[in-house]
Amino acid sequence: MDKILQVKKLKVSFRTVNGTVKAVRDISFDLERGETLAIVGESGSGKSVTSKAILGILAGNAIIEGGEILYDGKDLLKVGEDDMHKIRGDKISMIFQDPLSSLDPIVKIGKQITEAMLLKNKANRRAGRKEFNTMLARLKVFMDEAVGKENPETIARIKELVETFDKFNISALKLENSYNIAHTRAEELYADIEDLLFRTEHKQKADIRAKLIVFSKKLAAVRDPFLTAKYEDRLSAIALRLKEESDRFKEKWSAVQSVRRLITGEEVKREVPETTVALLSELKDLLREICEQTKPNFFRIGFYQYKNPGSAPEQMEVEELNEKALAYLNENFMNEFLALVIRGVQRSYENSLALKREVPEKIGALREYFLAGSPEKKETRRRCAEFSALVERSIDRLSVNKDSIAYTFSNSLKNAVERYFFYCKNNPKEEARYERQTKRRDALIAKGKNVDWKVVPKVVMDLGEQIRNIVAILDRLEEKYAADVAQADAFDGRARSVELIDFFKDKASQVVYRVTKRMAREKAIKLMDEVGIPEPRIRYNQYPFEFSGGMRQRIVIAIALAANPDILICDEPTTALDVTIQAQILELINKLKEERNLSVIFITHDLGVVANMADKIAVMYAGKIVEYGTADDIFYDPRHPYTWALLSSMPDLDTNEKLDAIPGTPPNMIYPPVGDAFAERNKYALQIDFEQQPPMFEVSPTHYAATWLLHPDAPKVPIPKTITDRIKRMKKLGGAEHGKQ
Amino acid sequence: MENNNEVLLRVEHLCQYFKMGRKELKAVDDVNFEIRKGEVFGLVGESGCGKTTTGRSIIKLYDITSGNIYFKGQRICAGTRSYRDAIAAAAKEKKEAIRAAKAERKADPSKAEECRKKIDDAKAAFTIVLLENKKNIEDARRDHTKSDKEYSDKLLAELKTKYEALFEEAKEDPEQTKKLKKEYRKERSIAKKTKLITKIQMIFQDPIASLNPRMTVREIVSEGLVINGIRDKKYIDEKVYEILEMVGLVREHAGRYPHEFSGGQRQRIGIARSVIMHPDMIIADEPISALDVSIQAQVINLLNELRDKLGLTILFIAHDLSVVKYFSDRIGVMYFGKMVELAPSDELFAHPLHPYTKSLLSAIPLPDPHYEKKRTRITYNPIAEHDYSVDKPSMREVAPGHFVYCNDAEELKYREELK
Repeated sequence: MDKILQVKKLKVSFRTVNGTVKAVRDISFDLERGETLAIVGESGSGKSVTSKAILGILAGNAIIEGGEILYDGKDLLKVGEDDMHKIRGDKISMIFQDPLSSLDPIVKIGKQITEAMLLKNKANRRAGRKEFNTMLARLKVFMDEAVGKENPETIARIKELVETFDKFNISALKLENSYNIAHTRAEELYADIEDLLFRTEHKQKADIRAKLIVFSKKLAAVRDPFLTAKYEDRLSAIALRLKEESDRFKEKWSAVQSVRRLITGEEVKREVPETTVALLSELKDLLREICEQTKPNFFRIGFYQYKNPGSAPEQMEVEELNEKALAYLNENFMNEFLALVIRGVQRSYENSLALKREVPEKIGALREYFLAGSPEKKETRRRCAEFSALVERSIDRLSVNKDSIAYTFSNSLKNAVERYFFYCKNNPKEEARYERQTKRRDALIAKGKNVDWKVVPKVVMDLGEQIRNIVAILDRLEEKYAADVAQADAFDGRARSVELIDFFKDKASQVVYRVTKRMAREKAIKLMDEVGIPEPRIRYNQYPFEFSGGMRQRIVIAIALAANPDILICDEPTTALDVTIQAQILELINKLKEERNLSVIFITHDLGVVANMADKIAVMYAGKIVEYGTADDIFYDPRHPYTWALLSSMPDLDTNEKLDAIPGTPPNMIYPPVGDAFAERNKYALQIDFEQQPPMFEVSPTHYAATWLLHPDAPKVPIPKTITDRIKRMKKLGGAEHGKQ
Repeated sequence: MENNNEVLLRVEHLCQYFKMGRKELKAVDDVNFEIRKGEVFGLVGESGCGKTTTGRSIIKLYDITSGNIYFKGQRICAGTRSYRDAIAAAAKEKKEAIRAAKAERKADPSKAEECRKKIDDAKAAFTIVLLENKKNIEDARRDHTKSDKEYSDKLLAELKTKYEALFEEAKEDPEQTKKLKKEYRKERSIAKKTKLITKIQMIFQDPIASLNPRMTVREIVSEGLVINGIRDKKYIDEKVYEILEMVGLVREHAGRYPHEFSGGQRQRIGIARSVIMHPDMIIADEPISALDVSIQAQVINLLNELRDKLGLTILFIAHDLSVVKYFSDRIGVMYFGKMVELAPSDELFAHPLHPYTKSLLSAIPLPDPHYEKKRTRITYNPIAEHDYSVDKPSMREVAPGHFVYCNDAEELKYREELK
């Protein structure tokens, strides 16, 4: 599986009146595609801060002290607000804890769901076009390079081919666009008719005649050579009948109306005649049929049309058409082009691989230089710039899957180095200031004055730590490149090329994908249906206060899913809900995850909730991850005393003895403890826990825990009896011989 | 054994309706249960099913619509709706009877005498019902408003007899008499202000919202005493310290304000406030829902300790079923204002009968991944599950101590299930 999100050594603190609260202290984890990571911990352990850092929505007084969050070739902690805007909500989205405060009370539900869809669409289309162009230009360069200067004919041919590719793509886009518009209109009309039928069925007010006129106008717009060519006759027939119906309606209407009014003085109740209903349902079925056709492959047809302008599409089945167009495309263009693309991709890959082979020794040299100590500023900058340039060149730019570590490397390195020099300069200054102020204060006190100010504590960074940070960045790159070089044999040029062409197609279709208000509405209603809201058509126009707690949370989930994100962050989505609703919401999130291959970060303080959701669990305490492992590891083989305490402090259905409450409260994070943060509340604490922070000990390749109890020299402490009992019981209940055997 | 226990609180046909525009919201509809002395009675159900309303009705935060609540054998709450409904029904019956009789007379004038008799009978029957129910209404109103007064009168009488004997003893000693008199006066003033309802205390859900941010802990905890007429500062302070230490806080905390405490400590203050009145019963309305898991255990352990130490009876309202199971002796399950199942907690979890209970139990998440992956949730759809069109349901005892809301057919089915 590929890592979709990587959090590395994240440190976040908050500036407050009383001092700096160290909320998150050096945590790292990876999130893989289609996986659920649960972060469990008490309030104040830094779970929410982590998730907010990922989305870039930390409060104003937050300081990000260090670390990286890598996503899609970017470091989310360092990208600007403009770039973040494209990711937030669109690629990574969030379900908040309190559905009451995360919905706008005076805006209707429908609008809140569609809002983001409409806003994001425009930006997406622009970005798609840009990416398409840059990638194509890059590809051309590499293809030229692969062919070599000695073949001017081939280079000319490449130029021609690339131009053709670009142009026929545009022509295909035009066709697709027109198809899409017609398709959208058909869908809109379908939805309108469904709406009207729904209203008449429920005896709500509706002006049938006006609607019929609108329908005939809209129906006239549903025309596209690829979409409706086969249905031309039926469509025109129905359009005619529609017009007749509306005319008839008009006459009958006015006649009946005037007579009735004369006799009874009452307004006539507007009843919809059955013939109209029948006609509308017929039209609806026809539209459904039209909409449900297979979409022709415009990429292929576009090429045909580009080569033979003015030729009309033939009347044939879509599959047949696709086949023919494919044959034509392959024969005249694709085979040749693909061969060249493969050469280009191969070339790019080889280039980058050669450079990657070169990198390790340079890294070695650079590391030596840093480890030697006291680097000189100018020299360091020069060396780093040189090296960064090398790494930049070594990135395989034609690879569709971006290599996050390499992409962010130069930025991270520069940052770390600048930081080092900043502290080089700043540390003596800070110390001098501290000295000065203490002296002055002491002098005043010695004079017997009443001093009403305190000396601001000095912030002196450990320079060695900064150097270690830099070296860590280098190490990571080295490791990654070593892995890449080792996997060089597995490279498949053809697969990569196909991937690349798919990427082009994808970007091109992104350009033509247009979302109208009406479409957004339909999509929103579908989404509401998906998250299990009954009668979404009525609910669409309601306000948040008309929903119950569980329903509101569903709306929040629908909003989060509207943009079709890669990563979903759930920040205690069920804490405010009761058991049955909680079970429903969890099932819903699980279902959506499977359907859309989402990656989920699930934050909670209740371990019971995550048992069926999580693939991996990170237990957090006082801003650190104390235990990290798969769900089975954490529940069946917990190793950290805090995990034990969490597990044994909640009763399950068979608990009868006194609960093992965790005594005391979490530590004040303004003055984080020197040793293990949990030591004070831990009855298994060793002396060393109060003096030194435990490192992450490896229990198994997937399971890590930060406790000195795992050190080989530590005394053997058995898992508390309540937990072993429970595990035994659970295994019996689970009815299987699972576990670690 | 348990059956011999004294019943502390009895709720009979409790109905609590709220006006919502033209319609009425039946928040609690015909709920019956008893709580015995010293037991913990759990009340579960999803949000909006009327658990909290039941608790609040018992402590008279609402005027109940109909039904009776007895505490220590004395009726403390009573609603009048059922009596008024009875009167209305009787009036309707009378009207119909008269109309029928008149119609008969019109059809056949020869039966005039007979018909008049019928009319008179109907009128007389109605009068009986009217008088009876009017008296009931009067009683209910009196009990509802005067129960506290009666209780304090009773206390006063007790005091009087007690002190009369003492006075008799200390007749010769004027010093002693004087002292006794002073004591008597003090206790009398307290007894006068004592209300029966203060023997029931409540712990609220949200420890942040339920503590006044402008009062110190001392003021919050001692407020009940002050209202009861105790003015002795020294006595109050000592009492506050004692209670604070009992709930796991320290003396120094008395001078602080609520915002200086963590969530768990705040809930401890809430508990201290309710315990200081020496109540017989505590209504704990989701006291742990707003707390972290590790703190929840602390609060539950504290409640358990207090229960042993003070002999408290607790009505425990919560939606976390594993906690309720752990903490309560008997559990009542509520669904949309109705009590659907009531049983000892082990029995309820071992043999859930009502489909809603089953669905509720199937939704409990357990800290066990393998079990969780296999767990299937049962959904409850009242329309599909029950057919109450002909056979009306009621609360029936299916097994000893195990009550289910069902009709005849279902009762048979449930009995089969238990075998």
